[in-house]
Amino acid sequence: MIQCIALRKQYGELVAVQDLDLEVAAGEVFGFLGPNGAGKTTTIRMMVGLLEPTSGQVLLGGHDIASAPEAAKALLGYVPDQPFLYDKLTANELLRFIGGLYRVARGEIAPRSEDLLEEFGLIEHAEELIETFSHGMKQRLALAAALIHRPRILILDEPMVGMDPQGALALRQLLGGLAASGVAIFLSTHSLPVAEELCDRIGILDHGRLIAQGTLAELRAHAGEILGSARGSSLESVFLSLTRTAGRRT
Amino acid sequence: MSGTDAVPPPAPLAVLLAPRALASRNALRRRPFRASILALLTAAFWVGCFFLFAHTLRFFQTITTLGPLLAERLLLVLLVSFFAILLISNVVTALTTYYLSADVRFLLVAPVPRRRIHEARFIETLIASSWMVLLFGMPVFLAYGIVFHARPLYYLAALAALVPFLVIPAALGVMLTTALVLVFPARRMRDVLIVLSVALLAGGYLALRLARPERLASPSELAGFTAFLVAFEAPASPYLPTTWAADILLSFLGDEPREPLFHFALLASTAGVLAIACGAFVERVLLTAWSRAQEGRTKLRRGRLLGRWLDAVARPLPHPTGLLFVKDATIFFRDASQWSQLLLLLALVVVYVYNFSVLPLDDGSPIAGTLREVVALANLGLAAFVTASVAVRFVFPAISLEGRSWWALRTAPIPLTSIWWAKFWIGFLPLAMLGEALIVITGRMLGVAPGLTLVFMATLVLVVAAIVSLGLAFGAAYPRTDTQNAAQIATGFGGLVYMVACLALVFAAIALEAWPVSRIFWSRFAVAPLGPGESLAVAMSFAAVAAVTVGTWEIGRRLALKRLAHFGA
Repeated sequence: MIQCIALRKQYGELVAVQDLDLEVAAGEVFGFLGPNGAGKTTTIRMMVGLLEPTSGQVLLGGHDIASAPEAAKALLGYVPDQPFLYDKLTANELLRFIGGLYRVARGEIAPRSEDLLEEFGLIEHAEELIETFSHGMKQRLALAAALIHRPRILILDEPMVGMDPQGALALRQLLGGLAASGVAIFLSTHSLPVAEELCDRIGILDHGRLIAQGTLAELRAHAGEILGSARGSSLESVFLSLTRTAGRRT
Repeated sequence: MSGTDAVPPPAPLAVLLAPRALASRNALRRRPFRASILALLTAAFWVGCFFLFAHTLRFFQTITTLGPLLAERLLLVLLVSFFAILLISNVVTALTTYYLSADVRFLLVAPVPRRRIHEARFIETLIASSWMVLLFGMPVFLAYGIVFHARPLYYLAALAALVPFLVIPAALGVMLTTALVLVFPARRMRDVLIVLSVALLAGGYLALRLARPERLASPSELAGFTAFLVAFEAPASPYLPTTWAADILLSFLGDEPREPLFHFALLASTAGVLAIACGAFVERVLLTAWSRAQEGRTKLRRGRLLGRWLDAVARPLPHPTGLLFVKDATIFFRDASQWSQLLLLLALVVVYVYNFSVLPLDDGSPIAGTLREVVALANLGLAAFVTASVAVRFVFPAISLEGRSWWALRTAPIPLTSIWWAKFWIGFLPLAMLGEALIVITGRMLGVAPGLTLVFMATLVLVVAAIVSLGLAFGAAYPRTDTQNAAQIATGFGGLVYMVACLALVFAAIALEAWPVSRIFWSRFAVAPLGPGESLAVAMSFAAVAAVTVGTWEIGRRLALKRLAHFGA
């Protein structure tokens, strides 16, 4: 469902993302990990069409985001790391607007909005201005907005930041359910336990390079090859050892 | 940690003031060209102000008996106006610096005494509210000094009096804002203050124009203005800081003894007492007031009604124009900084139409007819100029206001061109209607021939389309996502450059149209029929107007799309 082919972003001398190749299948949850400044958000912004790559290709559902952006974006739900929303709209008005952008049928928007607001615990705040929402509430609303058109691909940049434990738990359950229904999920996170629990496969980005990708077992094996023994170790220690090794090499 | 741990001394005031100062310095360093242009414009404004006042004061000096009294009363009028502006400005600024600014949170959790926070915020408020008055006031005081051949002590006294004169409204403003925040939610109060400020501005503009200041050019009417200045007695109460400040300045301008030291003592001690009272009051209630300021509004009662009404209006519009229209209009009517601009627009239109109603065109002189025709052509330019000034307020900020929420639009399956077209129609339709209404109404007042009105209407449609297109291009080239205040976005450097570009466009269109219009429609030139060569030249002139406007529209469109493709990246 998601394909990045030799994706590269360069700002002058600085290579932010270096020839990235990855694939995420339908129904798969792909965890995207990396230290701060590794290039995760740049990669995501290229994947969703907010940033033009220097070279390479992003295909969403087989549609090139550069040459067929509307077809690619129609499949996509996206939640940015900083979900700035229209402060002067109410939650309901925002969902109606986003639903309209994605051409959700007029009669379907209201019940769908109600279901999503209920699911994200925002139904009591449906008629309140977004400017009065906390960060966590805005995060949940951005998620609801991303799901209004039943996307087949969901790209989330740090969705757990600012969420309370109940919200984070509900999100984990929701993502599991969506993946089971065939949605491809690309999840950038700093929370290694979340990645360990939710993700089928994990990619680790460091200094703009994808230094490892695979299932947790594959990553452990990979780390073991480099460091001697990483068998049975947690994702945290695998992550730390891989990024340290990559750091030493660069 | 033991109870004997030493408490570190509070951060010095300079540390608290540093972020704002460094931000200003960095902004100057990052954009030296922009800073130079602004400095040049400020200097031009300053020099203009100085010469205007010097000229007025010299004129007063020619009126032997009343001259000194007029100069004195003018100074008092100015000081009263400055004081009123300072008071309003401090109330509005204090709301942001003390209660809405995001960095207050950091200061409140830092080991900084509340008194120190207040001191830093007070200085910030004072500077932010007073620079306009300083800018306008300094050339005025300088003009007084030079015209009256004042001694150097006058300039020293002016500077010394200025400090307490600025501190008094700042202390009053901060106390008033804090008291209001304790009673009303800050966001609601900000809206009320914004609307109040704009309404005062619009009202002042209307009052000034409807008072017909042009009458002062006539010697018989000058007596009326003189009478007004002489009658300006009420605010000259001996208990007002404006009177004290005026007395200090006037002591060094004339021969009349006025006790400048006593008045300075009054001014300085009042400022000192108010500053101390303000500090004590704010220190006591800062946390409570700040906590209250964070409370938002709850349910929106009229939200659904507005939504239904806008949905009905947008129904005939295509996708996504209708959708964006509903979203933009909803935000517009909920954001006081946006809809309050309509008050200014209304004042502008009233004054515009009023100007034409009082034009002395029917004086029966032989050149009355020609004058009417010249004014009619100038009216096209003026109507376009009015539309451009409205576009600066409403079209130019459209991209910046999308700002940080741009990702929501950009990741939706909508081509960038559709977003541009939606923004274009949302800006173009109301502006074209406004411009056309101005042309038709004032054309009727001037008795312009229907054919000529039609030509002007067609020209204006093209000019407005180009103005809107340029507005979106400049808005995308000079976005300001740090503020959600539309008026603030419009008054930035980009707004200024946009206005200059619009003026150039309007000037070009009028210059190209002047000859064919005069040849066909003006009574003096239209007597002879058009020859084939002239017909061709007329057609080419009109085609040139179309080419310039359509060309500008297309350039604006391409620039906007190019900028929007990278907007928010």
